[in-house]
Amino acid sequence: MDDHEHALPPASPRTDATAALALIAFGVLVALLSWRMDRFLAQEGTLWTAPGLWPGIIGLCIVALAGVLAVRSKRRARAIGWTAAARDDTPLVPTPRFALAAALFFAYGLVLVGRGLPFWLGTTAFVAVYVFLFRDPPAGATRPRNAIVALAIGAATALVVTLVFERIFLVRLP
Amino acid sequence: MFEGLVQFGHAIAGFLDPLSIGLIMLSSLVGVVIGALPGLTATMGIALMTTLTIKMPSNQALLVLICTYVGAIYGGSRSAILLNIPGTPASAASCLDGHALAKQGLAGRAMGIATSGSVIGTLIGMVFLALFTPVLGDLALKFGAYEFFWLAFFGVVIAGTLTGDDPLKGWLAGLVGIFCATVGQEAIYAFDRFTLGNRDLAGGFNLVPALVGAFGMAELLVAAREKPVPVKINPFDSVIPKLVDVTRYWRTILRSGVIGTFIGILPGVGEDVAAWSSYAAAKRASKEKEKFGKGSIEGLMAAETGDNACVPGAIIPVLTLAIPGSAPAAVLMAAMIIHGVRPGPLIMVEAPTFVYEVVAMMLFATIGILIYGLTLTRLLIRVLSVPKAIIVPIIFALCVVGAYAISSRLFDVWVMLGFGVLGYVLRRAAFPIAPLVLGLVLGDLMEKGLRRGLVLSDGDLTPFFTRPISAVLWITIALVIALRFPFVRRFVARAPRRPAADRTV
Repeated sequence: MDDHEHALPPASPRTDATAALALIAFGVLVALLSWRMDRFLAQEGTLWTAPGLWPGIIGLCIVALAGVLAVRSKRRARAIGWTAAARDDTPLVPTPRFALAAALFFAYGLVLVGRGLPFWLGTTAFVAVYVFLFRDPPAGATRPRNAIVALAIGAATALVVTLVFERIFLVRLP
Repeated sequence: MFEGLVQFGHAIAGFLDPLSIGLIMLSSLVGVVIGALPGLTATMGIALMTTLTIKMPSNQALLVLICTYVGAIYGGSRSAILLNIPGTPASAASCLDGHALAKQGLAGRAMGIATSGSVIGTLIGMVFLALFTPVLGDLALKFGAYEFFWLAFFGVVIAGTLTGDDPLKGWLAGLVGIFCATVGQEAIYAFDRFTLGNRDLAGGFNLVPALVGAFGMAELLVAAREKPVPVKINPFDSVIPKLVDVTRYWRTILRSGVIGTFIGILPGVGEDVAAWSSYAAAKRASKEKEKFGKGSIEGLMAAETGDNACVPGAIIPVLTLAIPGSAPAAVLMAAMIIHGVRPGPLIMVEAPTFVYEVVAMMLFATIGILIYGLTLTRLLIRVLSVPKAIIVPIIFALCVVGAYAISSRLFDVWVMLGFGVLGYVLRRAAFPIAPLVLGLVLGDLMEKGLRRGLVLSDGDLTPFFTRPISAVLWITIALVIALRFPFVRRFVARAPRRPAADRTV
């Protein structure tokens, strides 16, 4: 399917083991909650009609496959060590910088839209702040000039999105 | 046969008005640009366009979506050739030889090959779409609850097996997707499952926000995590396709078209696998194996023909079985349902002309990519030169709008954010996303098939295994799973132990 599946960086045995343990916990929780669901026996319900049957099966399958992943990660760790994995050459930005980008995404999705602030204003603010913080400015550009460029990009985005979605295609905006 | 041709003719005539032609040109352009921009996938493009076209008449909306789909899969080749970065995963195979050609100063020729391969690939897939859909539709009428259960199960298993490097993680991602599909009211008693008392969750997760999150926001988070790479574009020659490239490799083109279409028909596998499979088959059969990876015209042609042939192929199971052949096809299916079209076994009974309308849309999309393939190079280079720090927030704003606009609910924005984080975390842990999405799409069908089947047989599991189509399906699933185990493969092949393969359990 459509995803960067073939470009996935390989995970270390530690990452696999952590994922496996989290999935085992998740699967157990799903199975338990499914078991506790109403079976509607008073309404002639049977095991086959019980709402918890299917999610229960899924929960147990997750536990089983995650168990295999856990065992496999332990075997791999014995062979190559817990932290070893094929080298992923992709250069990454520092974590605080990424956290700031992610925080901006959430601030926009959770606070700036749909909470009373006009869509165009929230979008202008989000795009402008993001561009200002993360764009490498051209050589010799001053901070005020960068801020103006970022604001212009933000305002243009808000204007175009509002015009295209709301005015031309009559789609409601948050 | 002739009736089909007449309906196809009617469908073509139906789109020959100025508005439809304008929509074809615009949506193909949007598709090509989306496809060319690394980080923007066809799935996300179709999801966003679904939002944009929600108030349009269904025929025009679906025309826009299909043109976007075909355009995006084609557009990915541009950045693969020029930047060595696949615009969409479908073009990853094109990087190998496309960029090698570009480094030799033959980027224009490579783009011409990509154009001719994509156009012919789509046309081959289109012919199969027209011929196979009615046949498969007839076969699908024989499917009952038992068969649909296995078919949906097959989709998740095959997506888990083929779309990543690790089938075990693919299957786990599929199971998480199936779990997500169980959230909300179940079908028999309207019992709230895993809703935590939230009324919005009672309706379950809407597909479009979930897909925008898993494919769109997750991709943006990855883009924000990775350092931007400076854009360096090699000089290029003429982009006009050469006839000799087509006539010389006609066998490769035909083979790749058939492989691409077949991979498209397989539930959930999609364009990237189609491209890689066509590329591998071309390399095996080629007399110029040594050129592959170093600028092979045949390799590039195979990859581009295969991925674009997959697009009509992926729509065949959507129309006949309501099971998507790829992630973008899953969004397309959701869009069809939103627009009142009911894909599935009854489509040839209820709306036989619709299939030919889709074929006609595919034809117009092909014309669209041909036109842009010949004319759009310089504009695309300008678009590709826009810094990621400008593209990312704009696309995220579109993700938010896309998630919200389907039902005008802020809850869907939160669903998008949630699936975005889930998609990002899974990708960092090297889990493929495609099976998760297919599990989400097919989970409901699987559950209904299982529970309905069990109710019909009063709890007897035998019909799941003994009905002829069911038997074929479960045996295939068992084989697909069993063959991922090295000891089973060794037993089957009776061959000496091979070096540890990546794609084993």
